[in-house]
Amino acid sequence: MPNIRYANMSHWKTIPYKQINNFREFYYEDKTNTAYYSDWDTILKYQSALGFDGIEIAPWDLADLVPLFGSAEDFAAFTKERGVEVIGMFHGAHASHDPAHYDEAIRSGREAVDTIAKFGGQYMNTCPTQNYCGTGPLSREEVQQCAKVMNEIGAYATDHGIKIGLHNEFFCAINLPNHRELIESTDPKLVHYCIDTAQIAIMGEDLCTFYDDYHDRISTFHLKDTASAGQPDSVRYAQDPEITDDGKRWFWEPGLGNLDLKGLYRLLKKHEFKGWMSIEYDGSPDLLASMALTRHYLDNELRPIYD
Amino acid sequence: MNSEAIAISLDLINRHYQEPNRNRYESRYFWEELYPLIAAAGFSTIEMPYEPVWQFGGRTGVPFNEYCVNAKYENAANYRAFLKENGIEAVTGLTFDPNLFMRNDQIDFFFGATGHFGSQALSHAAEMGARYLAISPSAYYGRVAQYHPDIDNRMDEFAERTIKMLGTLAEKAGELGVTLVLRNEYWSLFGGERIIPIADALQDSVKLDVDTASLFVAGISPARFIESNITRIGTVHLTDTDFVDKDETWKTPNPEFPSDQATQVYRDPGTGSVDLAGITGLLDRMDYKGPVICSARQTRDPFRALLRTRALLKTLSI
Repeated sequence: MPNIRYANMSHWKTIPYKQINNFREFYYEDKTNTAYYSDWDTILKYQSALGFDGIEIAPWDLADLVPLFGSAEDFAAFTKERGVEVIGMFHGAHASHDPAHYDEAIRSGREAVDTIAKFGGQYMNTCPTQNYCGTGPLSREEVQQCAKVMNEIGAYATDHGIKIGLHNEFFCAINLPNHRELIESTDPKLVHYCIDTAQIAIMGEDLCTFYDDYHDRISTFHLKDTASAGQPDSVRYAQDPEITDDGKRWFWEPGLGNLDLKGLYRLLKKHEFKGWMSIEYDGSPDLLASMALTRHYLDNELRPIYD
Repeated sequence: MNSEAIAISLDLINRHYQEPNRNRYESRYFWEELYPLIAAAGFSTIEMPYEPVWQFGGRTGVPFNEYCVNAKYENAANYRAFLKENGIEAVTGLTFDPNLFMRNDQIDFFFGATGHFGSQALSHAAEMGARYLAISPSAYYGRVAQYHPDIDNRMDEFAERTIKMLGTLAEKAGELGVTLVLRNEYWSLFGGERIIPIADALQDSVKLDVDTASLFVAGISPARFIESNITRIGTVHLTDTDFVDKDETWKTPNPEFPSDQATQVYRDPGTGSVDLAGITGLLDRMDYKGPVICSARQTRDPFRALLRTRALLKTLSI
């Protein structure tokens, strides 16, 4: 068993079919590649063929996914039959910095944990609160409130066999000035950390230094590259910076940006990391191509360092 | 009928389903490049879906709600001016469907959110100078059944609450000078002719939509529907299809994607089996003067669909 297993964070937009049984006929209707991106059976074949044994689902997909399969359990069984297991789900802990929303944040977090349990997952990668724009800067008290909510959700998750991992976006109200303060204000037994390699680099953390400093808190990764590390406040604190007006991409497949991913893998070896790593392709125009490029880079550049 | 006055619906952009290159649809540059291309295809008026989903998660590049328009253009007036500079003279109308809000077993949540965002859509329609808001009165039957398995026994309750909600919206629409139009998609609790009792219970100002493909899928003749309801028709959507629902696909959770037999339900106008020439001729003979909108919903290629639609209109005697 390798030390690192690889999953995909699901950035597929709505996949409308479970399985297409009339693939050729469907293709001939309009002779485009739509048939290749319309059913979960085919999507999971791509994953399986490229050696991604796990899938991390997105909460915004649930409204379509659950009715399509009937239940979370049925989706998990469907993926498992195809060699892919659901490892967890992303969660946005909206307004967790605000005491007035404490009950709502806890309820929402617990519901997300329950949902992950139904899928058979083990990770809940959690954005600690909403975007900086319209919310930040947070006071020290608000950061502590956020930590309180994370600890509470973390306790519930731990009781249900799930690890929550803080997952910071570069445009979140938890940002460079209070990122480490939040981590250090949470209980290490209950609250872990999911390093999104590109997001924290864009925010201004040095990837390798951050991992070295917090390696014992790391539950999992979102692995992706960037060519835009260290963005200024004016970008990170702007309204809705993730999807740019001009199509500029923040995120690239490993090897296509300039993060020191080989340095990261040397540290993974040093600290003997064991667990899942999710690859993320948000921003890619072609998720299948990104998946294949990533597999090539993993096998030829990163796995030789630490597997 | 003047073909120059026929609008094109921006539902031709496949923003919710997977396909390569789909991500660009979330960026502002894509839409701003699209408007002059629409004009180049001979359309100077558009219909826009009103979709609250884009204001959640920072995807304000999609100009399909008030929040997004304000985020990118400060206000609707600026956005309308921008459209005009790019060859789009007017936004004919908006559409709104509540599928986003059928996501749990809380009926109050569904009607509360639908009423709230429906009202917001009406305000936005007025600010955009639109003539109508075409609303889908229910979520997909199959999605309702997922969370309310007893829906068949609760139809009266759903109908009553729907009428109450629509009545409130109709009142606001009247104040704003926007026509509220009811859609009757084949997948709706109130699909096809099941919309009639709902419309009957509402103010006379509330009109009906004709979606030609949706009626065809349900096995209803669009021509007969038009003839029977001509005085209360508020909008006509020229849509095309080859699909007839013989296996109750309308009751499934994803009714625009038949689970047993994958098919593109809505075909690009002119490439399906609906007699669009006959329908436009009938509308002319019946002296229909309301909005007519072409829709290439589910198209595999929006730019080809724009030109296919224009090519179709050129063949029609309108």
